[in-house]
Amino acid sequence: MSDQTQLSVETEQHDKGVILCPSGRVDGTNAGTLEGVIRDQLEGGQSVLVFDFSGLNYISSAGLRVLLVAARDTQSRGGKSVFCGLSKQIAEVFAVSGFDKILAVHSSRDEALGAI
Amino acid sequence: MANSRILMVDDEVDLELLVRQRFRRRIRKGEFEFLFAHNGVEALETLENNPDIRLVLSDINMPEMDGLTLLSQLESANPEICAVIISAYGDMANIRTAMNRGAFDFVTKPIDFNDLQITIEKTLAHIEMIQQALASRDRLVSLKQELAVAKNVQESVLPAVPPPSEYYDLYAQMTPAREIGGDFYDYFRLDDHRLGLVIADVSGKGVPAALFTMVTRALLKSAARNHESPAYCLSEVNELLSQENDACMFVTLFYGVLDLRDGRLQFSNGGHNPPRIVRGGNGAIEAVPQTGNLALGIVPGHEFNQDEVQLDIGDALFFYTDGITEACNTTDDEFGEDRLDVQLGEKRHSAMGDLVDVVVKAVEDFAIGMEQFDDMTCLALRWNAVKPADAAPGTH
Repeated sequence: MSDQTQLSVETEQHDKGVILCPSGRVDGTNAGTLEGVIRDQLEGGQSVLVFDFSGLNYISSAGLRVLLVAARDTQSRGGKSVFCGLSKQIAEVFAVSGFDKILAVHSSRDEALGAI
Repeated sequence: MANSRILMVDDEVDLELLVRQRFRRRIRKGEFEFLFAHNGVEALETLENNPDIRLVLSDINMPEMDGLTLLSQLESANPEICAVIISAYGDMANIRTAMNRGAFDFVTKPIDFNDLQITIEKTLAHIEMIQQALASRDRLVSLKQELAVAKNVQESVLPAVPPPSEYYDLYAQMTPAREIGGDFYDYFRLDDHRLGLVIADVSGKGVPAALFTMVTRALLKSAARNHESPAYCLSEVNELLSQENDACMFVTLFYGVLDLRDGRLQFSNGGHNPPRIVRGGNGAIEAVPQTGNLALGIVPGHEFNQDEVQLDIGDALFFYTDGITEACNTTDDEFGEDRLDVQLGEKRHSAMGDLVDVVVKAVEDFAIGMEQFDDMTCLALRWNAVKPADAAPGTH
């Protein structure tokens, strides 16, 4: 199995919030890993999350659920979750499921940071 | 250390005093806790009253029940107990017997307390490791049971094979991934000439997904029986699913109603891959138009739209989940709609069961060498004949 089946999540601190860069794929087997990283950030006091998906090949519905949880939990803390770097395939998943209507999707990281 | 209770079995009463004296610091810190028995019978009684003891240090020669007999009884008393035998120096015969009866280690008399301390520490660490391994095994067993429950639920939500009909050919199949997912399909007769057709994909895996699937299917079926409009049905199901949905689960769902009298398909789509229409005449393939709606369970009050398409005799509908189009090959390409359409075009005149088999086989061949990550679910229907409006009730 190639490395692209794995998920790793890098985090970068930014004065506006924390930037999460998952790479590989998010599916039912590892969505919990991403959920854990998000929970740690929220418990650490972060309420603004920037998801940069430039390194992400695939996200399943289990991964989308985690993004919904992130959007809800940042909002309830007075912050927000923004998304950028979506590949063509992931943008299509967002479009078909209607997630592009409820999640703040931006074309670049700068634009996403500017929207905070 | 999690469990530091130690049972010392020896008929020399002085030993108790000596042990308490030599290990007084460790005892005070709670690192060791000693209990004492003076023969095998007493030892078994103590173990029965203190079922958490995992380490037994035992002498061999004792009245009433000797150490070797005690050893052979420990296994049935509690197989998790580790026994360390205390034997006379050079008594290899007894030491061999003890080891063969399952002793973990031995120390020799006269007792070297440094050696005894190291042996106790080593054995307690070993016990700790076993406890952790057993706990992992228990978790694994309960996880497996949970998966079995989820699998049962997943299978039980699928409808029975439809009765053959002269008006249509209908076939559906789900190939589950190794981990239980939340795909389902459904079909039901709404009245003598209308068929309800459903395909859906619930977020996530395992028991939560399976339960959400079951609830969604039941809610939709009940809405479908009470309301003609597919959009109204989806709105109603969405309202119910969005309430108290703390886990943010959701379901993408396509619901269509086909009228067998005129080939009209009315539908509403909650964020699911749009089904494909395969024209029987020229083999043209198109996607059912999007109704621009969100997956169900996320936003209460979301307004669902509906649309309709017109089928001709011989046209087929192909419903599927993303396990088909998003299956990846070893170079990370997705199967995609184009490859799907090739299969659908070629097999449009075959029986729908064969068409589904061919599609699934094509996906499996494409993704050979890769683990199947997601359920693959297909529902295919071809409209074969107009059902007369006055057809006798009850005919399919």
